Amino acid sequence: MMAFSRSHPVLLLCFGLLITGCGSPDATESEAEVNVPEPPKENEVVAIGGRTFSIPSPVQAAFAIKNSGLKYQRDLTVPLDRGASLVGKMQQATLLGMYGADMAYVTVHNDGQRALATLQAIEKLGGELELGNAFDRSLLDRFKRNVGSEDSLLRFSGTAFRAADEYLKNNERDDVSTLVLVGGWVESMHLTLADPAAAKTEKLTQRIGEQKSTLDGMVALLREIEEDGANAALVNALVELQAEYTDISPTYTYEKPVTDPASRTTYINSVTAVSVSEEKMASIAAKVLAIRSMILA
Amino acid sequence: MYRSTFLILSFLGAFAAQAQSGMCGTIADRCEKHISEAYIPDGQFYRALLNGDEMAEFGLTLYGGSTYRVAACSGDSDGVLIFHVVDKEGNVLFTNKDHGNAPYWDLAVAHTLDVTVEATLDPAKAGSGCAVLLIGFKR
Repeated sequence: MMAFSRSHPVLLLCFGLLITGCGSPDATESEAEVNVPEPPKENEVVAIGGRTFSIPSPVQAAFAIKNSGLKYQRDLTVPLDRGASLVGKMQQATLLGMYGADMAYVTVHNDGQRALATLQAIEKLGGELELGNAFDRSLLDRFKRNVGSEDSLLRFSGTAFRAADEYLKNNERDDVSTLVLVGGWVESMHLTLADPAAAKTEKLTQRIGEQKSTLDGMVALLREIEEDGANAALVNALVELQAEYTDISPTYTYEKPVTDPASRTTYINSVTAVSVSEEKMASIAAKVLAIRSMILA
Repeated sequence: MYRSTFLILSFLGAFAAQAQSGMCGTIADRCEKHISEAYIPDGQFYRALLNGDEMAEFGLTLYGGSTYRVAACSGDSDGVLIFHVVDKEGNVLFTNKDHGNAPYWDLAVAHTLDVTVEATLDPAKAGSGCAVLLIGFKR
């Protein structure tokens, strides 16, 4: 992992010495000293989690869908028995992210029972992916006790996904972490775009246009974790989606922010504008649907 | 002799990895308290090990109409990490350095924008350590 290896000289020193001791029985102490890694350069930028990038929460997409007045369609979500038929790491990890996005979608639409059932599917899949105890029985119990409280459910699930992400990153499993995030993003896009009414809703067309930088960062993330071609089809499909965005160009106008120290709040008033045509929304929707189908195949 | 060296260094390597993981975990537990119940966690965990004046940075899309809470922690107490929020033109939108290295701050966003959060250790307080950033949001 880039951030880790760049910034952990003690471990690198141990690793360097370990290799020297193991592979070269005649090695002398002076040779071992030669292998000591150089200290980091001054002002070197160390990326967080191996990349300089984060993926927006699916919960925010779910809020955008609901606030735009689109009809709730439970059938748009992934069938909860899908996890049983997917065996590869790529598919299981992305499906986990998709379930996370679905859970946000059904929760903000007050479908508590479906949210609980989705969490159970997540718990099962999380066990197969060895995510530690982020989605354990106690989380299910808390969910059951708060099934009528949308905010509590969203907070519980956000905390659980963060715990899983922390566990994966601490165990050098950034590939699974990235795939979970990608799955959540793809599903959020699908839930937004599946209803043709979205293309006539300005807030949603703008939101889809705003995904350009997220998509670029996500492709870069996937390329970084790619080792044996396991994600090649997914990367290629996302690159095709990127092509749909080439003629979408957000404009940005800086406005001076206002800070209120008493409330520890800064009000950011800069403006980003982006427009996406109905035709473009349809072509993006088709590409997203194809990616989703590929993951679930 | 070499076998002993191998075993010792293997142990040291494993110990160092575990120590880093544990150190970041402890800081994350403390940092999480700054994401109060009014905020929904974004589901992601960001961390980096910093030495000297190294800088950690990550890109973030902030959606219009939302208020984000950014919590930034390192060391064994609040105020060790300095962070700046910078837009894509390089304008500094906020820095906690102007506010006593506040461990968390809210960003109320009118319109969607891409920003970079840059984090460094306060050299007066730490020479190295695990930097943890957590993000929460509310409608």
